[in-house]
Amino acid sequence: MKNIYQLLTCLILILSLSNFTVQAEDWGVPSSAKKKHNPYDANVKNISSGKKIFNINCKTCHGDPGKGNMIHLVPISPTDIGSQDFLVQTDGEIYYKINKGNGAMPTFEKTLNDEHKWMVITYLRSFDKSNRRSEKLAEVKNPEVTDVKLDLEIQDSSKYILAHLTGMTKKGKRVGLHGIEMSFLVKRNFGYLDISREDAYTDDNGKVETVFPYDLPGDREGHVDLLVKLTDDAFYGNLEKSQIVSLGVPTIPVNPLDERAMWGTRANAPIWIMVSYIGGVFVIWGVIFFVLFQMIKIPRLAQNKE
Amino acid sequence: MKEDSSKNGRRKFLKNLGVTVGAAGVVSSFSLLGAAKAAAKEPAEMVNLLTQDGQLVQVDKNQLRPTVTAPLNELQKRGREGIPGKSFVMVIDLSKCRNARKCMAACQNHHQLRPDQHHINVLQMQDAEYTAPYFMPKPCQHCDNPPCTKVCPVDATFKRQDGIVLIDNERCIGCRFCIAACPYSARIFQWTEPKDAEKYKDLTYNIEANVPQKKGTVSKCLFSADRLRVNKLPSCVSSCPNGVYYFGDRNEDAVTNGTTHETVRFSKLIEENAGYTLMPELGTKPRVYYLPPKNRAFKFNGDLLNEENLH
Ligand code: SF4
Ligand code: SF4
Repeated sequence: MKNIYQLLTCLILILSLSNFTVQAEDWGVPSSAKKKHNPYDANVKNISSGKKIFNINCKTCHGDPGKGNMIHLVPISPTDIGSQDFLVQTDGEIYYKINKGNGAMPTFEKTLNDEHKWMVITYLRSFDKSNRRSEKLAEVKNPEVTDVKLDLEIQDSSKYILAHLTGMTKKGKRVGLHGIEMSFLVKRNFGYLDISREDAYTDDNGKVETVFPYDLPGDREGHVDLLVKLTDDAFYGNLEKSQIVSLGVPTIPVNPLDERAMWGTRANAPIWIMVSYIGGVFVIWGVIFFVLFQMIKIPRLAQNKE
Repeated sequence: MKEDSSKNGRRKFLKNLGVTVGAAGVVSSFSLLGAAKAAAKEPAEMVNLLTQDGQLVQVDKNQLRPTVTAPLNELQKRGREGIPGKSFVMVIDLSKCRNARKCMAACQNHHQLRPDQHHINVLQMQDAEYTAPYFMPKPCQHCDNPPCTKVCPVDATFKRQDGIVLIDNERCIGCRFCIAACPYSARIFQWTEPKDAEKYKDLTYNIEANVPQKKGTVSKCLFSADRLRVNKLPSCVSSCPNGVYYFGDRNEDAVTNGTTHETVRFSKLIEENAGYTLMPELGTKPRVYYLPPKNRAFKFNGDLLNEENLH
């Protein structure tokens, strides 16, 4: 009898577990979708923009590719999408899954455009060990340099911000480093606002510029905290430069408590309400006292008559 | 004779009580300093008190003054003033909500609420018979024209300069006028002893988190004002796994997503997604903005308490 119970529990357990795996595997990717190919090149630019999109949209659940630091969910945690187990799939399969979503995985059909989805796939493929396409990586050719420096030039009138990335060659000459992506960030209360233009890569002289948004508020004097840094630290490490610039729109914060309002506490109530309230109290008590005095007078009147 | 002894007994009891209360008072709320400073006008009843270093001293009972516990006042003062120069707003993207309820759990944890008490609540909405249902998290809207503060007879609930509406539960008399006045049903009443009341009873009251909660007072969402002070996003915002919440400063025109930590322009986000506020016709001017549930990240799966959603 006991054996039968054990057997039953085992059976139920196995069944329920297999049910979960079915749930996890049940993407039903049609074979036509599997055949789709990534139309974009696996070059450095695409990989790095794929990484950006990945970090914003996918990283919170899946973690960093290949690191296994995804969040843990019950019954199934998200896959490490940098692992070989995942990357055996065709581009088309991954594309389909991003589009459709399943269970806790959202659909990105409408939230990401096609280009962005393929960029993410390009980025993921760069982790694929069996993939030839990722070998094209060494594409940016800059001379070997030391003492890499990042300089900023700000033009207050036109709101231009120019970043200049240079390094010292072995011959002791300072040269611009080209093809490096730069992020222009403005500090806000809870994070950094990205104001870089599209494809903010340094040109042959190592320069890249961006225009500060004409309507972005700064503090009272228009000061904002600007941070310029290399988007990808794979090339020259984590190089960044921050500076306070006065490119923002001077903004004087409005204090809602400066005005008297109906919703204000006692001290902040509108004058008319205080006057009419206090007036009302005086009038009512006045009437009451008046009546009382009249009533006191009645017996006196009676006495006088007598 | 009998009467006499009972009188004595009462006096004795009162005397004992005085000493006990007094002794406890040294540690907690009576100041010896005040007693020492003031000159005794007429000798009155003396009480024995234990000082902090363990000495027994006699003090004139009339000279005992309650001390003001400084941290409490400081917290309440800065809590009433708010953070200068800020104007906090929240944006809730309904297209991403799948009723995971992590925001509710984080909130209840932060503000010492029981699972059935909500500062923020995820509701299942359907606007009309043939419209599509969706999930909608609903915190206090931190109205710029709040009906709730207008009705409070004791100035217990108030708006501060950064736009947040708070409650001082040391002042609140529990009349519940504000609950009736709030059109968004954002407020709850502590009918019974709050959760873990015993555990937190010695905690200094923090007005910016409204903890410890107090029986017979009102509580509601505070935009985690205590976390904002240290530049942290509200509990609900940072606990959402699906990127539903944006939070930020309207003066800076930037809001930050609690899940992805991406910072975007507030005005653009609202403009591009046709953001709206709840019941604008009431003129309450909410500070919580909603983005319509279009292009949803998840299929709506019906039941509010669907187990599948809750992980
Ligand atoms: S939502 Fe309700 S409680 Fe919150 S500020 Fe508005 S009226 Fe007051
Ligand atoms: S319940 Fe408390 S906060 Fe609300 S109106 Fe009454 S005293 Fe004010």
